Formats: sequence, structure tokens, C-alpha cells
Amino acid sequence: MKNITRRSFLKTATSAAAVSLVVPVLPEGWYALARADEPGYFENEFGITDGFCKKVLEEALSKGGDFADLYFEHTISNWVILEDGKVNRAYSDVALGVGIRTVKGEQVGFGFTQELSKKSMLNAASTAATIASAKAKKPAGKFKWLETKNYYPLKTLLTAVPIESKLPLVQSVNDKCFAKSPLIVKVNAQFHDQQKRILVVTSDGIKAEDLQPRNYLYASVVAEKDGRRERAGWNLGGRKDFSFYTNAVVEEIAKEAVDRAVILFDSVQPPAGEMPVVLGPGVTGILLHEAIGHGMEADFNRKKISTFATMLGKKVAEPFVTIIDDGTIPYLLGSINVDDEGTPGQKTVLVDKGILSSYMYDKISARHYKVKSTGNGRRQSYQHYVQPRMRNTYMLAGPATPEDVIKSAKNGIYVQDVSNGQVKIGEGDFAFYVSQGKMIEDGKLTAPIKDLNIMGNGPKMLKNITVLANDFEMSKGGGGACGKGGQAVPCGFGQPTCLVKSMTVGGVRRRE
Amino acid sequence: MNKEMQDLVVWAVKTAKSAGADECRVRMSSERFVNISYRERKPETIKEASSRGFGIEIFVNGRYSVQSTSDLRKDALKDFISNAITTTKLLAEDPFRTLPDPKYYKGRAKRDLGVLDPEYKKLTPEDRHKLVKAVEESCLAKGGKKVISVTASEYDSHDELLLMTSNGFEGHMESTFYQAGASMTVQDEGDRRPTGYNYIACTKKKDMPTPEEIGAEAAKRTLALLGGKKIKTEALPIIIENRNVPRLLGGFMSAMYGSNIQQKRSFLADKKGKKIASKHFTIIDNPFVKGSFGSRLFDNDGFATKKRTMIDAGVLKEFFVDWYYSRKLGWEPTTGRPSNLIIPPGKRSVKEIMKDLGRGILITGFIGGNSNSTTGDTSIGITGQLFDKGKPVHAVAEMNIADNHLKFWHKLVEVANDPWIYSSWRTPSLVFTDVVVSGL
Repeated sequence: MKNITRRSFLKTATSAAAVSLVVPVLPEGWYALARADEPGYFENEFGITDGFCKKVLEEALSKGGDFADLYFEHTISNWVILEDGKVNRAYSDVALGVGIRTVKGEQVGFGFTQELSKKSMLNAASTAATIASAKAKKPAGKFKWLETKNYYPLKTLLTAVPIESKLPLVQSVNDKCFAKSPLIVKVNAQFHDQQKRILVVTSDGIKAEDLQPRNYLYASVVAEKDGRRERAGWNLGGRKDFSFYTNAVVEEIAKEAVDRAVILFDSVQPPAGEMPVVLGPGVTGILLHEAIGHGMEADFNRKKISTFATMLGKKVAEPFVTIIDDGTIPYLLGSINVDDEGTPGQKTVLVDKGILSSYMYDKISARHYKVKSTGNGRRQSYQHYVQPRMRNTYMLAGPATPEDVIKSAKNGIYVQDVSNGQVKIGEGDFAFYVSQGKMIEDGKLTAPIKDLNIMGNGPKMLKNITVLANDFEMSKGGGGACGKGGQAVPCGFGQPTCLVKSMTVGGVRRRE
Repeated sequence: MNKEMQDLVVWAVKTAKSAGADECRVRMSSERFVNISYRERKPETIKEASSRGFGIEIFVNGRYSVQSTSDLRKDALKDFISNAITTTKLLAEDPFRTLPDPKYYKGRAKRDLGVLDPEYKKLTPEDRHKLVKAVEESCLAKGGKKVISVTASEYDSHDELLLMTSNGFEGHMESTFYQAGASMTVQDEGDRRPTGYNYIACTKKKDMPTPEEIGAEAAKRTLALLGGKKIKTEALPIIIENRNVPRLLGGFMSAMYGSNIQQKRSFLADKKGKKIASKHFTIIDNPFVKGSFGSRLFDNDGFATKKRTMIDAGVLKEFFVDWYYSRKLGWEPTTGRPSNLIIPPGKRSVKEIMKDLGRGILITGFIGGNSNSTTGDTSIGITGQLFDKGKPVHAVAEMNIADNHLKFWHKLVEVANDPWIYSSWRTPSLVFTDVVVSGL
């Protein structure tokens, strides 16, 4: 069904954890490195000139409005896929088009076209213009390139990597998975790469171009033992250069996928009811994404439909809790040099030592709150309009050791990997699905558990974070996407091991 | 039929063959849509556009790839097809990958599926705005003083699909789509702001409820969430409301697909002919339901569609097996994906059933959750109403149900008489007993 208004984290492939201890930062001077190409792609390839853009923006503002923008996109996506031992399938997709938006207050008119011809673009602009009904407004006379940093410089464009180089990579994942355990009966593997080029031109005279790579290598395995089957998967990726995919990466993916499937044969039935929950480091940051991230996107707050709508400046967590949304971490899935309405990529502190310090703003919400956009204006493609969206959302480390955190839970569950999540913004109630975890009994990790949903409430959960460990990790997968209002965008997350005093675990075994 | 689209599809098949493809299948779709939403009695968004999609499956030297593009400039498309063939030749051979035997194309039903609204072109911008305003007004009126925000919207589209293969298949389908609804947020105790919604979709405008009914229902559903809280963990009877059944049923259905069976990811793989659910569980795949979204005369392979009983009184009868996986499995193909899934309705209403159930939960929404097609394990968050002898007690939130599909569907004790007709999965409300509901 179309247009279902739910916000959910949709994983297309299993996410992965990393080994870094701190959020990596770019060394000084690194930004000066050349990009994989220079600005001007859309002019060179499709004849999109400043004069042309000005005419279209004039049409978009022909009935008034506060501002208008054009979002050009040319995206090339490739998948090479292995099944039953052979790389025998490939998919490719090319997306080309422009989205045209007119904004009046908090109202949006939007049209798009796949034809970059003057006639088609003027038609789309005239659709966007219908949101306003006043005197025509003039766009800026000249457009100036926005200066941005590059958080994902590439040595080689992914489109320049021949398929012959990708095939052995995928084959190698398959061979390593089978070599690791005789219990493996099926392997699916794939390499995905995407090269998204965008050009944003705004009526206030900004133009910004970006080349956003995205890629991952993924393995999913089925293991069989005594007639029982279990499945697990693993991927590594992000906005990487192709040189990232070394033998060591292939080895890690195969090992994680196989280990994670094989251990499930020892799993026990998960318990049900309220109990302490310890979240392992890295990918479990999906908890932040669902529990508070979405609720702190500014559109939900300006409409007063988020449970966090009245909490700005108030204490929402213990003083040792700091949560950040960051588009500037090198090569991570949620990083962006520029957002999709021409604001540079940046880092935003959402919860500062327990105090709710900022929402995530796009331009419309920023105008509502009379603040600057935080660069969170994102969209799935030229066919969609901008919404405030997360980038890489994470919680900083604390002083405890992971063992201390587990010990302090005493009895409960430990979450190691998750595969789905969703939140109800107004209530703050959220859920995430644990694909892999362990029981905590008497302060120690014991039997594996799997396939259970955990329910909680965002504001309550924040206050219930009682211990943070010193083992911060970011997720390092490249296969996930966050869904909101029918749009999917890539984002990342991370956190240290942490204890949440109490959440509802949706198991099948009632506790005695 | 759109002549320009048809010409492009014919050209693409010829171009692919002359560029070296042994066989190909070309798919082209187009959509013209309008989407309007209102908030605070003025338009919040107005969106309108046309889009086209072109996809080609290439079979060359026993190798296979799928390519799609929105860049339909003929020169660009010609290079695109030629490059695709070159790339395909570099892949490993797959002896199972061929176009279907044309015998499966034959026998296509000649009937009007009723999915194209002849009135669609008469719809004006004024009609659309009037509809959304009426939805918003009725939602606001029913919501009363508790309302924080209402967003009402409509979406309508005209869609066309063309499918052609180099071994003689040609198919065309044209349909319309209407959706209207509202999402409402209300103030509850403390910081809780429950949000509920009601979205209704049809292929024909005349089948839609009135905008007043749609808006009022959105408000009613939202107000029912007020005071939501969790109860202790216990085993209870549950009723899953008709419109929410597909969310849980989807996890079960994923094990019925040929791809998952062949890849050893199906908990149903060895269950054909066996009893896998209670006698109340029957599922029919019916591609000929008049006016339903899933109706079709041919499937993605080009097979002529047929009505099939998939599960009969708890016994698994058929799987969804497309051409490719039928060859890998060595089975006769059926069809790759469901069309309209029908669970035949029972005799009693949900209200009547609730009276006899004692204490239980009526589930009116799911949150999060997932289902493991390999093992059948499933766990999912719920919202709804705790009831006792037919009377509502209070709303429930932050709760969860979990089970294994191979056990869960044996707990189905009754099917209500209320199939949800605004979806291709036409499911009535379902009643289960002894389900562990997690809360406190």
C-alpha cells in the first residue's frame, strides 16, 4: 500500500559493528585532497546552466513563496549477486531527474521530471508554484558554489571499477563461508555499489554539487545441524573507496556470518516481560535511532506531534549521557558533505550531558524555530521532498568496563545484533528486533537467544540508561536504510555497551 | 494503451536481440499521480508528477542480468542495452535461467478486472482539495479538544504496465488508485501524544467511503489509544483486527516462496500436504477479484494467472513458485507472488466473538517486530484494547506477542465476518487463544 505514515528502520542487510574506539576525525588539511571529480558535472553532462536554473526557479516562484530549490540527481547503482556457488546475477539501475520545490511558510509545492528538458522542468516548476498565490518573486541573479568539505574522497570512482574486479570478491566470500564450517549449506553473497551525483540550486543563490558513494559486501548463510536450520548474515561497507574491500574485510564478513549462524543452534527460548537490557556496542545504536532520534527530528516537534515537543532545554537523561547526530564522520553510511537542500554537512549535539540541546532541522523547521538549519534536510531521491532526517547518530562512551555493565544487570538479556526497529513518535513507544543476543544470569553472559522484539518508551528509556561502558563503536554496515514518510535514506549509528534498567522483552517463555 | 510506450518496448526487444541478447524480457511502467495534504486547514504539501520506468532482463550465453533506467533518451537507452549485454556475458553461467516455456503464457483469462476507473480523468484539482478538506474537518470535529494535530491527505494515480518477451509474450495493464486518510495526534497524560490514523485505498473512486467517514474513523481510532499502558505478562486470547492481519501473515507467507524454499530458508519447505494450522486457516490466491489491487491476468513471468487454494482448512496445498525457482527445484511452477490473498470470512462479528472470549486483547496496531522465514520464529510489538466479556477495559501499549508460526496458526480458533476490502490481502479479523502477551 502506498503512503503509509510509519517511521521505521528497515534493514536490507544485516548491519555490522566496528572496532574503532573513538569517532574517527579527519586529519588537518585532509579536506584539501582533490575530489574524485570537479564541480560542473550536470552542466557538462546534461547542459544544466545557471541561466537555465534561474528560469526554472523564476517559474517556481511565479506565484510567490519564500524560496524554491532544484535538486538534480544522477544515480548509478549496481549489484552482483552469488547464489548456489556462482556469481550468476547482476542488477543495475540508473536514476536521472530533477525535483522542484516551492516553499511558503511551512507549505510545500513539489513537482519532478525525469526529462531534463526546458519544457518538462518548467512544467514541474509550475506545479510546485501552485502552493503559493501571491505576487511573483525573483530568485537570486547569480549562483555561488557552496564550499563543502569532503568526508568521502575516493581514489577511484565506483563506476570506473570493472565488474571483473567485483566478481572475485563475491566469489571469495562464498568460498570462505563454506570453508569455515561443515554446517553451512547455503551462502548468498552480494556486492553493491552506488554512485549518486546531486546538484542543489536554491533561489537564494547557492549551488552545491556532491558525489555520494555507497557500497557494501554482504554474506548471508544457512547452517544445518541435526535437521534444524539457522540463518545469519553480515556486511561491511558505507561510503567507501573500492580499496576498502581487502582480503581482511572478506575474511571478517565470512567469519561473522558463519559464527553468528552456528551459535544459534545453542540458543534457548527468550524470556518474556520487563527486565534489565544490556545493549552491546555498535549496531545496537539503532536503539537511539528509534527511541529518541526520530522524536528529535524538528518537523515532528514544530507540529507538536513528538513526545519531545516540550522538552528542549530540559533534563532528559543522566548527566553522563551525550548524544550526537553527525554527518562528518569519514566514509560512514550517514555522512554527507552537503544536505539535500544546500546546507553543509555538520555535527549536531542533541543531548548534551543529559540536557536536550537541539532538534535536527531542515530549512523549513529552522525558519519555524528561528535557528539555522543543522544540515539534516534529506530526501530519498529527486522524486521526494526534503524532510529532517538523521545522519550518524551515536552516544558517547562512559567510564565503566563492558563486564561491569553486564554484571550490574545481574539478570536480564544482552543484545548483540538487531534487524528492525520502529517508533511511534507521539507516544515515544519504540520497538527493535533482536536477531542475536545472550541471556545474562547472575551477572554473566550465558546461553544465546534470538528472534525477539523489545519494546520501550523513548523518554523513559533515556532516563533508564544507568551505566555506560568505555567501548564505543560505530556501526560499519553499508546495507541499512531508515524509512520515514515513505522515503528511505542511509544513516549510521553507534554507542558503547550500556545498561537500560528496564524494558519489555517479547519472548515466549514466561518467567517463573 | 500508450502508443509511445508500446513502440519503445517493441524497439527495446529488437535492439537487445540485434545487440546480441539470446532472449530478453522488457517491462515498462508509467505513473501519473497527484498527492495533496492539509494541516491546520491549509495545504501542507501539493505534489504532482509523471514518471516512467524501463527495465530489461537479458539472457545471453546462458547468463542473466536485470537492468533498469529512467533515462529514456533513445541514444542513451541503446548504449545502456548494449553495455548491459556486455556486462551480462562476464557473469557465471546459470543453466536454470531462461525465459519461460510459452505454454505457460496460454489460457489468459478474458475478463475485465475492474481496476481502471473510467471517471479518473474527470477528477479536478478542486475535487481533490474539497475531499481532503472534508477529511480534515470531520477528523477535527470528532477529535474535539484533545486534538494536537491533524494531517489529512489524498493520493491518486493512473498507472500503466507493459510487459513483452522475445519469445512471444505481450501483456498490458492499466489501473487507477485512490487513497484518502488522516493521521491525528492527541494529548494524553504527561508527555504522551498518541497518534492514530485511517487510510483507505480503492481502485475506483465510487468504492471509497465518504470523506466524513474516513476522517471520523481516523479520530475514533486515535482516541481509542488514550490511556495506553502495559499489563502483566500472561497468556491471553487475542483478536487481530482485519486490517492488521497482513503484517503478521506476511512473515508466514515468506516461507511459501520458491526462492526461500530452494535456498533452505523456509520453515514450510517440507510441509506440503501436511497440517500446519487449525481447520479455520484457509488461504486462497485469487487474481480475479473485481476492483482489487492484486488482480491481474498475467504474472511477472507472463504466466496466465489462476485461482489457487494455497492452504485448505489448515493443510498446506501449494507454494508460490516462479519459473526460475521451479527449474531449480525441479517442480511445476505456480506463480511467483500472491495476487489477492483471501481468507474466507466467518459468521460472527468481532463484537459477538469478544463477548464469549472473557478477558483478551483486541490488537489494532503492530510496531517493530520481525519474522524468521528459516525457523518460523516471530516477535512483534502490539497496541490495542484490553477487553473483558466484550467490554473495553483500557488501551494497551508497549506490549508484545511472540511465537513460532508452526505453533501460532494452530491457535487460530475463529475467523470473523469482516474481510478488509481496501487491500489486496483481504483478511478478516482473526481470533487466537493462549498467546503469550509480554508486558510488565
